[in-house]
Amino acid sequence: MMIKTRLKTGTAIVALTGILATAAQAEEIIKLGLSVPLSGAAAVWGKGAEFLCETAAEEIRESGGVSVDGETYNFECLPYDNKYNAAEGTKVAQALLNREGVKFIGGSLGTAPVQALQSLAERQGVLVFTVAWGASLKGMDHPMTFTQMNTPGEILPLLIGYIADKYPEAKSVAMLNPNDATGQETEALGGKVWQENGVKVASSDFYERGTTEFQPIAARLASLNPAIIDLGATPPADAGAIFKELDVIGWSGVKVVEVGTGADGLKATGGGAAEGVYMGAGVTFDGDNVTDHQKAINDRAKAEIGESLNAVQIGFYDSLYALKAAMEMAGSVDPKAVAEVLPEVTFQSFYGQEVGFYGEELYGRNQQMRLPIIVTQVTDGVLVEVARLTP
Amino acid sequence: MQTLIQLGATALQIGAVYILFSLGLTLIFGVMRIVNFVHGHIFAVAALTVAYFLPSLVEGGLSAPIAYILASLAGIVAALGLGALIYLFGFRYFQRDLVGSFILSIGLVLLLDGVLLHVFGGAVRGVPEIFPGRVSIAGAQITVQRLFLCAVALVMAATLYWTLSHTKLGKALRAVSYDHEAAMMVGVPYSRIAFLGFMIASLLAAVAGVLLAPVTIVSPVIGTDYLIKGFIAVIIGGLGSVPGAILGSLFVASIETFGSYYLDSSYATLAIFGMVIIVLLFWPKGVLGRG
Repeated sequence: MMIKTRLKTGTAIVALTGILATAAQAEEIIKLGLSVPLSGAAAVWGKGAEFLCETAAEEIRESGGVSVDGETYNFECLPYDNKYNAAEGTKVAQALLNREGVKFIGGSLGTAPVQALQSLAERQGVLVFTVAWGASLKGMDHPMTFTQMNTPGEILPLLIGYIADKYPEAKSVAMLNPNDATGQETEALGGKVWQENGVKVASSDFYERGTTEFQPIAARLASLNPAIIDLGATPPADAGAIFKELDVIGWSGVKVVEVGTGADGLKATGGGAAEGVYMGAGVTFDGDNVTDHQKAINDRAKAEIGESLNAVQIGFYDSLYALKAAMEMAGSVDPKAVAEVLPEVTFQSFYGQEVGFYGEELYGRNQQMRLPIIVTQVTDGVLVEVARLTP
Repeated sequence: MQTLIQLGATALQIGAVYILFSLGLTLIFGVMRIVNFVHGHIFAVAALTVAYFLPSLVEGGLSAPIAYILASLAGIVAALGLGALIYLFGFRYFQRDLVGSFILSIGLVLLLDGVLLHVFGGAVRGVPEIFPGRVSIAGAQITVQRLFLCAVALVMAATLYWTLSHTKLGKALRAVSYDHEAAMMVGVPYSRIAFLGFMIASLLAAVAGVLLAPVTIVSPVIGTDYLIKGFIAVIIGGLGSVPGAILGSLFVASIETFGSYYLDSSYATLAIFGMVIIVLLFWPKGVLGRG
């Protein structure tokens, strides 16, 4: 009797252990670090990035997760605030890599903080996805880094070419960029491309992030009487404030924000002065081409973060599907194995099309997602797609 | 000439904000001999409250000016509430303790950074112009909103100056600032005066916050830039000196404006810090010394 009872108990324990093991197996988690601004003028990018990472993780979980060698994995997003500067970016890198122990960065934002992250991540063999604009982050020296959105190398030649064609009489541009790695790299390429398109660069200034009084900057820009003012990598809120001050002193011309991502941030600070601004990283959700899936997610994003989604944030959705495809192709969750097959995979992008990686001609290796370049303009207070260009 | 007039007007507009900000800092230092790094957060709470309530009040059917007044009152009350909390549970125990108050101040900054981010979110908030339109003064273009801001800043600065010079409270504040022990010996209730001084400074920050909300970028970190400029202004003018704070504010605003125009915004920022170094070398107590 006693032996029978013990056998029953033993069987129950074995069964319970099996159930627990199965449950544990079902909950294999891959932590994805996010180094993003969650405060300040660029916070809307970070909040949207966090939202889209979690959205993609949830979708992947609901569709059965990532299947690798008989195991099922799911993603967990770990967003950390890099405040869009190098010092905070370094702290975030330490926390993500050393404290959280992440092996994959699902997305990172801001050239300066990403440079800090990349230098540490590369030493530890961590795979990094980034929307940072700096060309210095790419190339043969960075085999573990992949770019999840169009960057100046892809956007500027087409965006500036489009504007130069549309306004052939506009022959001078005044440029302004934030005084950091993002702004400096954008400025260098932007100035070159404007000149290649026959537009003279009247001035190219920098300002410090965190600036709150833009009247003097606007006065200087307007004093040069340029036909075009290009605010380069200036975040939407800052750009809106600058255009507002330009409007007060009576400047009117072609307004461009190369990294411009949406009308909401611009309008929040610029009001009516946001009208007519051209952007290179905005996405509209009003046209006939927009899918129900995109609309539904965008509506949820507007409710949660107060703005429509944009290209910066969408990269944080796409990187998860790219990782899923690469992990399944490699049959491994080892970051080096995944990085090796990533340039070969294709995946369903948020934009609704199957995309892969390219960039060998420009950067020496295929590490750039091939995404459409959407030129948008604020028209009657709404962001309107005026051209869709293929890189 | 036209350019100089426009730049002069811009410097005065920016200076008006810095004056409101630096007056609070200098008052707290004068009375309590502490450096209050939380001043920027009190300012931010007022601006964020306006940005949070104003749109819904307007959507509720109120006119923009009425909604602005109500939202501003809410902002000022919230900021004063925060100021009172900070004083009663923090700075009250570290008066005239520069090191202790410094550590407390930095700790509170970190705490409030997180709290504001959690409560209001990180995204910038837009506040519509309450008084639209612009006016031309001697050829300089100024928005009515900025003009309103300057007028209120002028009234606030004048009221503070008059209060310090002519009222019992003002005289007590000055007495405590000169020698708090002697003031206590002649019957000045130091603790109460210190609290009132802290609350007046908080009120100045709150008013600056609600005035600036419609003309600037409202976010949880909005106070940082103004805090730095405010500190530079009082260091140049002289910690504890009201005229020094006004002078320093106008000086900082002028360098920022003319430097940004003739050089570059980044160089102007460097020039401001350069000026602080020069002032500290030749006038360690500031141009007008301690008040």
